[in-house]
Amino acid sequence: MLVMSLRRTAAVGAVALIAFGTAGAFASSPAAAAKANAQVSVVHGIPGQPVDVYVNGKKTIPGFQPGKVAGPLSLPAGEYDIALTKPGDAIGDALLTVDDAKVPGGANISLVAHLSVDGKPVLTPFVNDTAKLAAGQARLVVRHTAAAPEVDVRAGGKPVFEGLSNPEQAKADIDAGTVSADVVLAGTSTRVLGPADLNLKEGTATIVYAVGSADDKTLDLVTQSISGLHSAPGGVPSGNGGQADRGPAPAWYGVGIAGVLLGLLGLSRLVAARR
Amino acid sequence: MSGLRGTSRRSPGRALLLLLLGALLTTSAGVAACRSKPAADFGAPAATASPVAPAPAPSTAGPVPIQHGRPAATAPDSPTRLAIPALKLTAAVDAVGIDEQTGDFAVPPSVDRVGWYKFGPGTSAAAGSIVIAGHVDSAEEGEGAFFRLGSLEAGDQVELTSTGGISRTFQVVARQRYRKTAIPLQKYFARDGDVRLTLITCGGPFDQRTRHYRDNVVVTATPMS
Repeated sequence: MLVMSLRRTAAVGAVALIAFGTAGAFASSPAAAAKANAQVSVVHGIPGQPVDVYVNGKKTIPGFQPGKVAGPLSLPAGEYDIALTKPGDAIGDALLTVDDAKVPGGANISLVAHLSVDGKPVLTPFVNDTAKLAAGQARLVVRHTAAAPEVDVRAGGKPVFEGLSNPEQAKADIDAGTVSADVVLAGTSTRVLGPADLNLKEGTATIVYAVGSADDKTLDLVTQSISGLHSAPGGVPSGNGGQADRGPAPAWYGVGIAGVLLGLLGLSRLVAARR
Repeated sequence: MSGLRGTSRRSPGRALLLLLLGALLTTSAGVAACRSKPAADFGAPAATASPVAPAPAPSTAGPVPIQHGRPAATAPDSPTRLAIPALKLTAAVDAVGIDEQTGDFAVPPSVDRVGWYKFGPGTSAAAGSIVIAGHVDSAEEGEGAFFRLGSLEAGDQVELTSTGGISRTFQVVARQRYRKTAIPLQKYFARDGDVRLTLITCGGPFDQRTRHYRDNVVVTATPMS
């Protein structure tokens, strides 16, 4: 069922360099992109630590719990200062700060607070592919944002994304439906997460984040979905009998022609009779 | 022939009779042709949302929406039965998707069943187009459930019954005929805008060579409650 055309994209990883450089590529046109706001979702993937999220010094998401997805925030293109604090703490005591993060117009971005491979809290931006899906299709995106080694992601026991490491992502457009997915250490069948039933809805991008820490046994999955990517079917073929063709039956054409001929004959006789 | 001509010279009544018969036949053929003309379109399909997606509320207004990051597991409520009293029609409804070979709507092959587009809104939807398509006919099985769909008039009622026994009644507001190459399917398969029921079948001239109808007939109905 899973016919995967596997495409893997390395995430923009460095924490300090939170510039969404490639984001504009997904916008429909440069002119529209410049005007449209960016849609920014915030994903909390750091176990055990609720936070307040500040955007440009303003508390935007108070008491943000681990495992949750906030947004999307509709932000005009520009540069933003982002800070995460313990709930109630002053912004000066932030756990994590990123200054001058560039947000291009028209992009759809997920900003993920998660652990680096060695267990330190980081913020990683991912650009979401919001291209339209063919009718019947769903998009599955998997993002490795956990303090864990390289992994394979399997569906129905078969590896579909292989050798994914923090903070990489992999993506495939597949038939909509439910898949049973799990995560194993790369090249092994040692399960680190799952199995979990993923309902891949048609016309929707389902984004699965592996979060937490392998050492602390806090590995978990967080999912985000982006709907409205559907297309209409190619057509609605609903008849091949021809009985509903309401064109006049061929016999009626014959009747019409015979009528005209008879009329002409009668007319000529009439004219002849008058002579 | 000469005898005939002679007769007609004596009595122009016979020529008149021929003329009259000719006119009668021509008129009958004309009436048949007019009767067979498809009924005209009426109404406008229920309003859809503006083509530009509504912008989410600015982030400054109110709290930011929070989702809980667990996989969704809800299925829309599938209609199982469609009744159209005006056509004396009751048809079983199958949940269908896309024909993998063609990318087209997978209309149930059995002509007495109709297909609900399972990826779109279901019976109790609050928004979007609930789409049900059925055969007008088939070469093997003859007349289909939607053979007379094109004769529905404004105000005719359509009742949809769902798995849980929930039913919803709709009222016909529009009927359109399009060439298959020109039908605005994006509009009819929209998942936003006012909730409406969209019934689709084939119609128009039939091409004996390709075994296809040229047109699609689309009836739009809006909920009565």
